[in-house]
Amino acid sequence: MLELVGVRHRYNGRVVLDIARFAVSPGAGVAIVGPNGSGKSTLLRLLALLERPSEGEVRLGGVVVAGGNAPRAGAGPRRRITLVEQRPVLLRGTVRENLEFGLQVRGVRRAEVNTRVDTVATRLGITPLLRRRRHELSDGEVQRVAVARALAVEPDVLLLDEPASSADRAAAQTLYRALAEERARRPLAVCLASHQLEDAYRWADDVRALAEGRLSPVTPENLFRVELPASASDGDLKHVRVGSIEIAATTDKTGPAILAVPPTDIFVSREPLASSARNVFMGRVTRLTHHRPGAVHVTADVGVELVAVVTEEAARDLGLTPGGPVVFSFKASAVRVF
Amino acid sequence: MDFLGEGLRRAVASLLSGDAEVYGIALLTLKIGLIATVFACGLGIPVGFVLATKPFWGRRAALTVVNTALAFPTVVVGLLLYGLLSRRGPLGGLEWLYTWQAIVVGDIVLAFPIAAALAAAAVQGVDPRIRRTAETLGAGRWRTAWTVAREARFALAAVITTAFGHIVAEIGSAMTVGGNIRGQTRTLTTAVALYTSQGDFGLALALGLILLLLALLVNVALQTLQGRGHA
Repeated sequence: MLELVGVRHRYNGRVVLDIARFAVSPGAGVAIVGPNGSGKSTLLRLLALLERPSEGEVRLGGVVVAGGNAPRAGAGPRRRITLVEQRPVLLRGTVRENLEFGLQVRGVRRAEVNTRVDTVATRLGITPLLRRRRHELSDGEVQRVAVARALAVEPDVLLLDEPASSADRAAAQTLYRALAEERARRPLAVCLASHQLEDAYRWADDVRALAEGRLSPVTPENLFRVELPASASDGDLKHVRVGSIEIAATTDKTGPAILAVPPTDIFVSREPLASSARNVFMGRVTRLTHHRPGAVHVTADVGVELVAVVTEEAARDLGLTPGGPVVFSFKASAVRVF
Repeated sequence: MDFLGEGLRRAVASLLSGDAEVYGIALLTLKIGLIATVFACGLGIPVGFVLATKPFWGRRAALTVVNTALAFPTVVVGLLLYGLLSRRGPLGGLEWLYTWQAIVVGDIVLAFPIAAALAAAAVQGVDPRIRRTAETLGAGRWRTAWTVAREARFALAAVITTAFGHIVAEIGSAMTVGGNIRGQTRTLTTAVALYTSQGDFGLALALGLILLLLALLVNVALQTLQGRGHA
């Protein structure tokens, strides 16, 4: 298991990551979702042992491999974890030489190197690129080569930072299929950072949200960066403008904050209902998606895009369809502020 | 302007006739230049690498010292070295004063900061993702350094040519610790200075042209080596 424990990481004195615990279990598929600048890439670089946390520890199999009193992580632990950066670079030489690099540093025999390179190139559909050099490739091709290069060394943990950001739809499908095949073949843990929820939900077993360097206690939908007023407007309620609506939240915080509405705390109906909910918004269904058996994610435009989760049975009974009317209700106390 | 034409004629004649003294001076200069370049770059480039890549206490101060040393007057280096190598100096036992070895030591001292400062700049210019990529693919310290060096090869080749150019063009230290002894420590620059002071502009110019030719040859050789590489 690869884990961060009590990590506070700073750049120029500013805390960019503050995580009590984050773990990637063997064979797990974890997605980290968050907006640009939320700390996803930093988190991955710490997990990849490319940076040493300013505070806290990185543990691999229970052993501290970075931070604390551990010396800088050597090649041994790093060889079990491989990172593909958001904008990867290829080393000098051909694509084949790039794929061979990690195997050569591990002292893999020539025949085995050739077999592994050819296999992974076939899986990622990059065989025609093997003789090319980096300046002869598009951004999408570089990204696929980088993933192939990482898979070639057969790490225990593969860290991917926005792996499909430069890929077209077909290339992204090839990439995710290759990852799925690899995970079916051996216990490979994959930790992927993305700002696309759909990709994250499509294949990750566990989706975590990251906002301003902190892991959100809720799922990644319905996260908003807001400015909280200094004083409450109605008892201990604060009304915060998000998009074209005002969300009522119970908090004593002021200033910049992240506001989160857990999708499971949103009550979905066709018409406004008499209830204690202080947040009632009418809108139209924009999307219905099935991420897990038995659950439907209802995305609606209620002045801002919100996502609620209902059972398939409830969705059917309510007759929810894209474009149809919907009412989202939730209590002020359900709104998380952090 | 006559002396320029005369100088050129003397230069060509000396080269074509195989003038033993001229060739002796040129070969000694080449020998000193190559040996000093190997040592200065062999020490300076790794130091530059460390300065560019390893965070350590005092790194910024070390970079400032190295950059300041770039402007160290050659004659002052010669003077300090003279004090060290003279009979009463701490290194007097070596008996290197007025030998070509003393010139080499002076040139190493002068070229080391050039190699270190320029190598640090060259390595800092490499995309940091190259280093991270090598590391995340499992490369150890040396393989990572080699991978980064390969990316900075053009800039590092420029470091070597600059160091060599500085060494063969240096006169202050060579004159002070070498003594400009005919057949033993007379280099192209000290010879040019001597013949100019004696009014033999032709020979001085001939030697100056050979010096330029030497620098040109080394540059061409390095560029040829670089040309064999691909992106």
